[in-house]
Amino acid sequence: MSKLRLNGVSKAYGATLALRRGDLEIAGGEVHVLMGSNGSGKSTLCKIIAGSVRPDGGQILIDNKAVTISGPQDARAAGIGIFYQELSLANHRSVEENICLSALPVKGGLFVDRAVLTARAARYIALFSDVAGEGFHAQALVGNLRADQRQLVEIMKALASEAPILIFDEPTSALDRAQVDRFFEILRDLKAQNRGIIFISHRMDEITAIGDRVTIIRDGETIETLKLSETDPATVIRLMVGGASDMPAARSSAPAAVAGEAKAAISVRNLTGKGFRDVSFDVAEGEILGLGGLHGQGQSALLRAIFGASTVTSGEVTIGGQRYHAKSPRDAIRSGCAYVSGDRGRDGVISGRPILENVTPIHALRDRLMLARPSSLTRKAMPALEAMRTKFASLSHPINSLSGGNQQKVIIARWLIDRPDVLLLDDPTKGIDLQAKSDLFTLIRQLAAEGLGILLYSSEDAELLGNANRILVFNGGSVTRELTGDDRTRYNLYQAAYEAA
Amino acid sequence: MTSTATDIRSSGAGGLRSWLERYPFLPALVIVVALLALNGIFSPNSLSFRSITGLFSTYIALIMLAIAQTYVVSAGDIDLSAGATLSLVNVAIVVLMERWGGGAGAVLLALALGMVVGLACGLINGIVVAALRLQAIVATFATSIFFTGLALYVMPVAGTPAPALFWRTYGGRLLGLPFVFYVLAALAVLLFLMSRTRIVKELLAVGDDQQAAYQTGLPVVAIRIKGYLLCGVFSGLAAFCLTGDTASGDPLVGGKMTLYSVAAVVLGGSALAGGWTTVVGSLFGALTIGLVNSLVFFIGTPSEWQNFVQGLAILMVLMAGVLAGRRARA
Repeated sequence: MSKLRLNGVSKAYGATLALRRGDLEIAGGEVHVLMGSNGSGKSTLCKIIAGSVRPDGGQILIDNKAVTISGPQDARAAGIGIFYQELSLANHRSVEENICLSALPVKGGLFVDRAVLTARAARYIALFSDVAGEGFHAQALVGNLRADQRQLVEIMKALASEAPILIFDEPTSALDRAQVDRFFEILRDLKAQNRGIIFISHRMDEITAIGDRVTIIRDGETIETLKLSETDPATVIRLMVGGASDMPAARSSAPAAVAGEAKAAISVRNLTGKGFRDVSFDVAEGEILGLGGLHGQGQSALLRAIFGASTVTSGEVTIGGQRYHAKSPRDAIRSGCAYVSGDRGRDGVISGRPILENVTPIHALRDRLMLARPSSLTRKAMPALEAMRTKFASLSHPINSLSGGNQQKVIIARWLIDRPDVLLLDDPTKGIDLQAKSDLFTLIRQLAAEGLGILLYSSEDAELLGNANRILVFNGGSVTRELTGDDRTRYNLYQAAYEAA
Repeated sequence: MTSTATDIRSSGAGGLRSWLERYPFLPALVIVVALLALNGIFSPNSLSFRSITGLFSTYIALIMLAIAQTYVVSAGDIDLSAGATLSLVNVAIVVLMERWGGGAGAVLLALALGMVVGLACGLINGIVVAALRLQAIVATFATSIFFTGLALYVMPVAGTPAPALFWRTYGGRLLGLPFVFYVLAALAVLLFLMSRTRIVKELLAVGDDQQAAYQTGLPVVAIRIKGYLLCGVFSGLAAFCLTGDTASGDPLVGGKMTLYSVAAVVLGGSALAGGWTTVVGSLFGALTIGLVNSLVFFIGTPSEWQNFVQGLAILMVLMAGVLAGRRARA
């Protein structure tokens, strides 16, 4: 008897299909693991069940009855509780208020019943009392807690829903061993109460420790559901990778090493900052170093820190043999460092302004340009745009008139007028079309051939395998494995990403 | 003030920080005390009971308006029509009281209808901002013009007097104490009760992180509309106090009070981004503005320089508050 069933659920964001065909069946009394690589649609699926994302199609059945979930309130009423990967906490409210926030107990119809609230929250706080660590108490403000403690509050909040169906979307990413063990004890109790639990984690050991069944999602499609007791991690990873994962096609096509004795373009020693720790590597001139692993394991944080957009707490960076310490992106640009983010809207595009203005801001900064003459700027901008094979009507059209791929080309072109020494690419192809992607990587390889040192983080493994000379796999903020030569296979990449940190 | 286990573990700067977290209006209180002292130095008479009463009866309307603003700011919104709402309620009740003869019944009925007007203004703002998702700052600016237009229709020129019964009661004494102190006491009780309500907690949760609040299952749109309704109610109360103080109707009286109310909210220690507000702080913030104004007068600033000095003083107070908060949080 299934508690929850999803039939062919789909969701598209504009042109990108986040979920093509999601099928899932959760029984009472089981921990059902969802597995899939970055962007395969796991979180979208969870959010559809929890009502915070509306599906475009498909069917949801709870206790074999078809239901429409039109919002988080609906989902709650239908008996669904969720732990959000990105957390859903109010930082200025106390721990106990956060735990009870979705249904604050009231008396007299208006006033918060503090006694009931405290008692209710205390039940869930007690579950973790000996592992929560220093400074964790009912009245503490959530914003003052450590990352793992905030995650515990989100767990308690999900538990406080007392829902028959509970979703945990990466609940353990910041927790320590003792906290995870306690959490798993609680999950086992919930199983005994015949609750249905969906669990997402990227640590293989946790999955085998707590999971009963696993459903594998690849490219927005449910591939298969297996009993974990009847399978092994290698099979699961193979299913996630899809088909012939050890075949040459899944091997890296980029040369394993850079020819000749190239000097280091950038070297990083024991760099530590918010979101990453103790990262060391060298990138030779002409080399493309790939940063792999699951989303949010410190790759973006590292690149942004090198670019001066967030702070470095210790360690050092040298660029071209010179000691380098960027306090701001402005500093970084002056020292010959370039950064292209996949989040164009936030980090790149000057929205609503002409293409010309979007190509030239870096030039304006590096050349200390005071007066801009369109004709001379155009002479400088055109070659950069042509190198990218950018399609546009005229330089005076606003950048918003271009497609995502062409916008990204304009953003990259702005770095080509004055050549940088180091290029930091932070998932640069997010949400752009295939043609633009291939143009982009042709250019990136060409730039490498001209002697730039390139750091490439991509959430698409194919891009790393296809372009990186070496790949560092990140897990939990540090490099857990380096893949070189023939080791650069899809299988190895997944295995390194999913193994215990 | 009770001391709990949490105070024991924190000390030094950490202790100050936890104090500020619990009583975020402390810097504003310190500033009010300092300004009172300065006023006292330049004009000893200004600390007399009579002068303090005068200060409160002049500025209680701004206090109420700042509190009204605080509730919308809690949810991360803003209301640039609070002053216009005040004007509209002011002219509405004055016209109604006059038309109905100015007796006790007429006064009470007019006040009740004035409250309905305040609520209606709040509802319109709430629908426009939360349900139709228009930018709060522009949408409420637009409604402010609209409300001012209505006020001008109700009373084209300022000056219609309020009935004597109303302003004599407001400006008079009850059991030997000025009436305004009863208003303050009632306000204190009301604020205490409000701080315990579910809606205030929900407003703060929405202001903290709207997406998180939505995902938590809170009815975000309804909560934000309720915030504007609360703002309408307190703007209405502000209008009652103002009418009691000025004893007349003026369709443009509230216009320049709007930004003062926003300034008072910030001076009081609330975050304009929402999620972190203090109504008590807003009360002190409004008093700060009042005390700065009187100080500028008492130190004998030539009249053509008064605005200049006043603006400078408010900037300095704002900096002092911000620096204190930043140091405690660092």
